[in-house]
Amino acid sequence: MAEFWSSYLWPLIVVAAQSLLLLVVLLVAIAYVLYADRKIWAAVQIRRGPNVVGPWGLLQSFADLIKFVLKEPVIPAGANKGVFLLAPLVTCVLSLAAWAVIPVSAGWVIADINVGVLYIFAISSLSVYGIIMAGWASNSKYPFLAALRSAAQMVSYEVSIGFVIITVLLCAGSLNLSAIVEAQNGRFGLFSWYWLPLFPMFVVFFVSALAETNRPPFDLVEAESELVAGFMVEYGSTPYMMFMLGEYVAIATMCSMGTILFLGGWLPPAPIPPFTWVPGIVWFALKALFLFFLFAMVKAFVPRYRYDQLMRLGWKVFLPLSIAMVVVVAAVLQFAGLAPR
Amino acid sequence: MNPATLPPLVPALPELMLALGAMALLMFGVFRGPRFVHVISGLAIALLLLAAVMVVYLPGGTLTTFGGSFVVDDFARFMKVLALVGSAAAIALSTDYFDSLREQRFEYPILIVLSTIGMMMLISAADLIALYLGLETMSLVLYVLAAIHRTSVRSSEAGLKYFVLGALSSGMLLYGASLVYGFTGTVSFSGIARATAEQTSMGLLFGLVFLFAGFCFKVSAVPFHMWTPDVYEGAPTPVTAFFASAPKVAGIAMFIRGAIDAFPDIAPQWQQIVGFVAIASMLLGSFAAIGQRNFKRLMAYSSIGHMGFALIGLAAGTEEGVRGVLIYTAIYVAMTLGTFAVILSMRRKVGYVEDIGDLSGLARTHPALAFFLAVLLFSLAGIPPLAGFFAKFYVFLAAIKAGLYALAVIGVLASVVAAYYYLAIVKIMYFDEAGEGFEPMSAELKVVLGLAGLINLLFFVYPSPLLETATSAARSLF
Amino acid sequence: MSELLADYFPLVVFIGVALAISLALMIAPFIVAYKNPDPEKLSAYECGFNAFDDARMKFDVRFYLVAILFIIFDLEVAFLFPWAITFGELGFFGFWSMMVFLAVLTIGFIYEWKKGALEWD
Repeated sequence: MAEFWSSYLWPLIVVAAQSLLLLVVLLVAIAYVLYADRKIWAAVQIRRGPNVVGPWGLLQSFADLIKFVLKEPVIPAGANKGVFLLAPLVTCVLSLAAWAVIPVSAGWVIADINVGVLYIFAISSLSVYGIIMAGWASNSKYPFLAALRSAAQMVSYEVSIGFVIITVLLCAGSLNLSAIVEAQNGRFGLFSWYWLPLFPMFVVFFVSALAETNRPPFDLVEAESELVAGFMVEYGSTPYMMFMLGEYVAIATMCSMGTILFLGGWLPPAPIPPFTWVPGIVWFALKALFLFFLFAMVKAFVPRYRYDQLMRLGWKVFLPLSIAMVVVVAAVLQFAGLAPR
Repeated sequence: MNPATLPPLVPALPELMLALGAMALLMFGVFRGPRFVHVISGLAIALLLLAAVMVVYLPGGTLTTFGGSFVVDDFARFMKVLALVGSAAAIALSTDYFDSLREQRFEYPILIVLSTIGMMMLISAADLIALYLGLETMSLVLYVLAAIHRTSVRSSEAGLKYFVLGALSSGMLLYGASLVYGFTGTVSFSGIARATAEQTSMGLLFGLVFLFAGFCFKVSAVPFHMWTPDVYEGAPTPVTAFFASAPKVAGIAMFIRGAIDAFPDIAPQWQQIVGFVAIASMLLGSFAAIGQRNFKRLMAYSSIGHMGFALIGLAAGTEEGVRGVLIYTAIYVAMTLGTFAVILSMRRKVGYVEDIGDLSGLARTHPALAFFLAVLLFSLAGIPPLAGFFAKFYVFLAAIKAGLYALAVIGVLASVVAAYYYLAIVKIMYFDEAGEGFEPMSAELKVVLGLAGLINLLFFVYPSPLLETATSAARSLF
Repeated sequence: MSELLADYFPLVVFIGVALAISLALMIAPFIVAYKNPDPEKLSAYECGFNAFDDARMKFDVRFYLVAILFIIFDLEVAFLFPWAITFGELGFFGFWSMMVFLAVLTIGFIYEWKKGALEWD
């Protein structure tokens, strides 16, 4: 009994508590990320944005949550009920699941598996299913078309993201996310992070991340003018909210991935005292938020792409560019003898 | 960990050359456009023939590379040259056909080259993984080729049918391979042979049966022949000509090497299977072809029957038997390509015809064509002194020497039945009312038909080159 | 617990917790919210008129093409992963092998580009 307790039950409780903590913090953070998104957008357009609920509208997201929960859940008569309800669940759970392997500070990670990058890559590939399922199960034209578009868009950019990740792996020599961060720990602080040597890849990653998460200027999925609200047309109440939640969690995941792969994760910008006193999680959060700020600014500034332009960018610009960069990076590492051993 | 080092590439030089050439042609074609189809066809033929020359002039003896999974011995050389020549002839047969249909695709010759690379890998494969790789490289291209006439329903249907059934057979083959691997603990043929010499289990035999089922599918032997008539009839005729020649060579090579190299110690078991398959194929090929009116469909049944005859030699399981199979395969390729050259010249103003009735009175409208077709048909029927007779003679001889009298007797009876429908065509050509004549033949068709006809006609005058190379090829396996 | 299980066990627990939270959110409105369905409300949305045929219609074959291309390239990426992490230990043979592979891949890519498989209009 004691052995069962110490080797099975206690670790379970500890891990469950850690998971719950991370998820709650994450969801609260997402609530404010949403708020920040709206505020930044409003500021760019010289509006005020949400400012009614709570001081400066700080409780807006929570009010939205309550509103969604109290709304009538509608399942269209023609829909395929099971799949219809499964779709938001899949989207939401998958995007949350990615966070299990993201190290927010040295050692602060739920599951420090040695194939973390592969895991995230797999999870983000799976998220297409949520959208396809939603589009198909709705049995309505706009969702169906939007789901097809969205699936094609997401898979197109996933290929480039894959090659970008390869270049980082070539430099870091590990699939473990913590190890990738540690590999960027150099004497020159922020100049030894991978954003500098792999700058073109950082840009490709950023833009592909926008497309992968259906953010503007690549939000053709919910291009209001042609597809009403995309694959979510038939959804309301919390199922709709879960799509939105899944989307924002995916954005947060992408920002963290960008932080880990290119911006040195939790490492301080300079390895000297005033910076090293700050805990790693603060640096991590700052970097991720910086990336999110870029996401939000892009949404505010850039007009929407046309679909053919989007596909052209993905297949004819990013893909050749990223393959070429894989070759260049590998060649430089090989011939300069810099490859990690 | 030691860094891997480059394996010796010389044994695989022809394959590498073909692969590079195919890629270069692909780039040439896609940039220069369809205007250069003929140039690409010509270059592809040159490439294949160059590869055949390279195969012949590789250093002698048995060469192995890639960790022993790739073997070049006399057997591989013989089969590779055959496959390469068959593929080159198939490209030559195609140009006129696709021109007249305005369906020129520069991909066609390139696909054939790629498929041929698969065949060569297959012929040289000395372990199950290399075998599967070669098989898929070859087959995937064949599926595409069957459907290359994209606007034709029949062609698409043929491609789809072939793909579905081919995938099924690949699955069976893989299943068998995994069973064999599971029960012997190795994928290399020599390793499997060592393991089976120590002990055989029921599971291994199951694996063997599944493996052989996959082999039988690729050579279209009964009971895995059902795809053949439909695919042969539906696919564009030059593609059918290709299907009936080079891939069969590779399939037979894979069958022989798989059986002889990997399972020498359980030969009695697989000899029964091969014997049954041979009998069933011969009988089906002979009887089912009688009612056919479509020449391509008839050739499908004919090829099933011929594979049955060829497998008699393998059923004997001796060096002499293998030699018989090799001779049979070589002559079969010549006969088939010649016959398809005739089918491809059956073009009227309205388009291509493929009915046997359309040949009526050919002796009056096109005496030369009728003569060559008659030679080929007599040869297919196995009538002396044409090449087809010797082909059958050597396999029957091997069967009798191995004590398989029943097999030889059934083979002779089946060839008598088969002679009926071959001779029926000759009768239609020479004694029936003349119909409308065909359009003139292109030079490529004439060359292929002439060469095939002469080989069949004059084989008995100077048989020794083929017999000798086949003998040394067969010896290299034992 | 074995090493592998110890690594992946937290992952399973985490996904379980995430699933629980999501399910709770999902089910909440079905319990607390006001429900009053009517046929109009439950019909598929089609800009004001009734849907006039099945929504699961034929769609452009190019989506299929994109899916095929994705499978090809995603497999290549998956193939590159193990190469990339052992890159330092593979030496020149490993480097050149992958360069040859990428060259073959690029030739296929150029072919499909020139063939117009990547065009959308």
